[in-house]
Amino acid sequence: MRQQQNTSIAPLKTVGHATPRIDAIERVTGKATYTNDIRLPGMLYARILRSPHPHARIRRIDVSKALALPGVKTILTHENCQVVWGAGGISGGLQYNDDIKKITKHRRYVFNNPVRFVGDPVAAVAAVNRHVADEALRLIQVDYEVLSFILEPEEALKPDAVKIWPEGNLSLNAQNQAQPMTTRRGNIEEGFRTSDLVFEDRYTTAFVHNAQMEPRSCVANWDGDKLTLYTPTQGISNCRSDTARDLGIPPEKVQIICQYMGGGFGNKNQNQDADLITAMLAKEAGAPVKLEFTRKDDFIGVHGRWPTVQYYKVGVSRDGVLKGIQLRGYSGMGGYRKNTGTIGGIDIYQCPHIDSVVYPVYTNKTVSGNFRGPEYPQGFYGIESMMDDVAYKLKMDPVEFILKNMTRKSRDEVPYTNYSLEECIRRGAETFEWKKRWRPQPGSDPGPVKRGAGVAFMAFRSALGRSNAVIRLDAKGHYTVFVGVTDVGAGAKTTMAMIAAEALGVPVSKIEVVWGDTDRCPYSVGESGSRTTIQTGYAVVQAAEALKRQIAEKGLPTGDNVLIGSASPNPTLEGKVRAAFGAHFVEVQVDTELGHVRVLKYLAVHDSGRIMNPLTARSQIKGGATMGIGMALHENLLYDRRNGQPLTAGFYGARLMTHRDAPEIEVIFIESDDGYGPYGAKSIGESSKVPAVAAVANAVFNAIGRRMKDLPITRDKILGALA
Amino acid sequence: MAKTKSKKKISRRKFLQGTGAALAVATAAPGVGAQNAATDSIPHTAIRVTVNGTQRRIEVEDRWTLVELLRDHFGLTGTKIGCDRGECGACTVLLDGKPIYSCSNLAVWADGRSVQTVEGLTQNGRLDALQQSFIEHDGPQCGFCTSGQLMSAKGLLIRNPRPTADEIRAGMTGNLCRCSNYNHYVEAVLAAAKGGSR
Repeated sequence: MRQQQNTSIAPLKTVGHATPRIDAIERVTGKATYTNDIRLPGMLYARILRSPHPHARIRRIDVSKALALPGVKTILTHENCQVVWGAGGISGGLQYNDDIKKITKHRRYVFNNPVRFVGDPVAAVAAVNRHVADEALRLIQVDYEVLSFILEPEEALKPDAVKIWPEGNLSLNAQNQAQPMTTRRGNIEEGFRTSDLVFEDRYTTAFVHNAQMEPRSCVANWDGDKLTLYTPTQGISNCRSDTARDLGIPPEKVQIICQYMGGGFGNKNQNQDADLITAMLAKEAGAPVKLEFTRKDDFIGVHGRWPTVQYYKVGVSRDGVLKGIQLRGYSGMGGYRKNTGTIGGIDIYQCPHIDSVVYPVYTNKTVSGNFRGPEYPQGFYGIESMMDDVAYKLKMDPVEFILKNMTRKSRDEVPYTNYSLEECIRRGAETFEWKKRWRPQPGSDPGPVKRGAGVAFMAFRSALGRSNAVIRLDAKGHYTVFVGVTDVGAGAKTTMAMIAAEALGVPVSKIEVVWGDTDRCPYSVGESGSRTTIQTGYAVVQAAEALKRQIAEKGLPTGDNVLIGSASPNPTLEGKVRAAFGAHFVEVQVDTELGHVRVLKYLAVHDSGRIMNPLTARSQIKGGATMGIGMALHENLLYDRRNGQPLTAGFYGARLMTHRDAPEIEVIFIESDDGYGPYGAKSIGESSKVPAVAAVANAVFNAIGRRMKDLPITRDKILGALA
Repeated sequence: MAKTKSKKKISRRKFLQGTGAALAVATAAPGVGAQNAATDSIPHTAIRVTVNGTQRRIEVEDRWTLVELLRDHFGLTGTKIGCDRGECGACTVLLDGKPIYSCSNLAVWADGRSVQTVEGLTQNGRLDALQQSFIEHDGPQCGFCTSGQLMSAKGLLIRNPRPTADEIRAGMTGNLCRCSNYNHYVEAVLAAAKGGSR
């Protein structure tokens, strides 16, 4: 196992040392309790009937035969259940705001009519067991008026395209205005006028699914007017406030419990329609209900990454200095706009004139939403392929081009709290032996099997923000840390225990963590935006300081007494921008007769500030990079253009990375401590996927001398490009 | 009413084509229609199966998959269902020492056979060398595929106690990990094999 650590920052006692997860034994013995492992007395099983059509109006639903089936208890449809799913799609992708919810014209219910994609929920059944529930679905008769449909965002904006919403297919923003998202700096025309050369190109990225291993499930139980939801959510606090708002009950009447969860990568953020449907079924049936998604339900009913079309125009001086970057982009949002649909990446270049216009467009595909670095892996693939191409056209080494043009201040004006991008790239190029592996003449290897190298870099937000933590000390010297984190897989519980141990000056074994239950834990932002460690970890440090002050004041507790330290910090950056930095270097081998790409060597260099736990941090980097290879080379949710049916909605069809596909990922951490966050921790989880796709694509170009402009870079496309 | 039906009548092809409920129709006596799905009319079979060393007798519905039996009726929830259609390996258990997808096997097929699940790896409170190695190498991230990875690795080491990294990748390629911690899983199995897996 190769791994290098930078020792230029002062070492700490616990933080920074490879530490096995505090719940590792539960995870390897089958004792860890995931949502679907919960079983309550008298519990019913639920299934969802989904639209078989990409776009249709429901004329009539007849549930009488299904209700007559012995064992069926409750059926919900749009006729008897009109709960709005706030987090599922409110105009502008700004789903968590009550004011927007009041005025929006585009509101998503848990059951919608018309249905807007294959998989849109039509009915839910609760029955004595899952077999009866499955059978009942088959007995529900739905009379559909089938409408015409549209799958591609550019086509959906044409004047004669079928309207998915009455206002048209350009998604409305929070003020109900049909406008694209724009970012402008300088004057783009001026930028192109002062350029020696201007290049234009088009890149597209595919619809890919989060495809976390745990299919969505939920268990709901009402005790009087109090709802307890066992659900895999990346944020128990937000899930509670969302659920309370959507059901119209006070937040204190909702308890969210998530002990263990089987991944999410962004599609288990906040509350889900499954949570609301299960709660309503349980209420209606007067019994606890467990809703189980099938894997197909999960693929077509839970969101994936938005597919994009990206048109770039780049102006540059003859010596390779960027003068202007223009992006016109289209993001396919599906039938509802669950998240923003922006396309990120331009900002990582230093450039005086920037003009970015991105259209979030409704289509009749499964909804798009957050997936590990929501707007970046696809955006970085586009812009970093474009820039890589420009470098070759200027006869420059891509590494030199990056060093000349990469961001040095955020948006060219705001300083970063620390800056290590140059070090990431130089150290990476040296370790990777870039000069040896990169072909100055792309595609120049003799013979049918050609090698090539590619590079991509990134800067990723590491913002601060509010969070809470409580630490209790008893007379026996046991510390209990209460934090509202779940553990999506990144290891938050262990990280919190390590940070508490460090701050309190005690070993990790003295710390117990209470997590994943809104009735027991204070607010945390949850596992989204790569900020759990930064925000909740910082609250843990502050709570530990508060507890130490108590101890200093009152002495250690005795008998039945306890001492409690708590903190609710909301730190700010004082006019700076905080970012994690990184660069990925990839060597591939392309069999030009078969079109097959194999990754031979992969190096990921990351500055994520001080690494809290090198053991789990490495897992995060390796996992993100490996996912990125899959997105670059084969993952794709294909739709049949003739009938709007999803064709690859399953693990095999979606073509995820397997043991055999995964190369060894070498990881280098360049550690830093900028004085913010807990001991200088910055973001990790999402950033590891962000440059991976572009790095692989650029390596393929270097190997074969053909620029692959449409993801995924499958064999047929490679053979087509070489034909 | 319990009816003992020959397991030969349920072909694997027919089973994989349908869901459990479709299967119930396919295996029910003629005349039993799709609407009569009450549990009483579902064909049952009494089986004997050894689970983690303990012999169990149970009357199973013929439509139950093995993973359904293990999770819902024996309470062995360590085995996970990731896809329920033989694509991900999260439900891998050992059947007579060989790794199989328990979602793609019917419970009745386990009659007279021996099943080992992740709960059976720990012997007398001592972790299996694989479990220990998974912890040390941070194999599990979200942990949902972990039981399957462990049982697949266990099955591999039974037939090949000293596998190479490539043999491990080949042997475990039917076990997906979306956290994509493949490097660490392979390292963990290599280390466990060196140290001697019990």
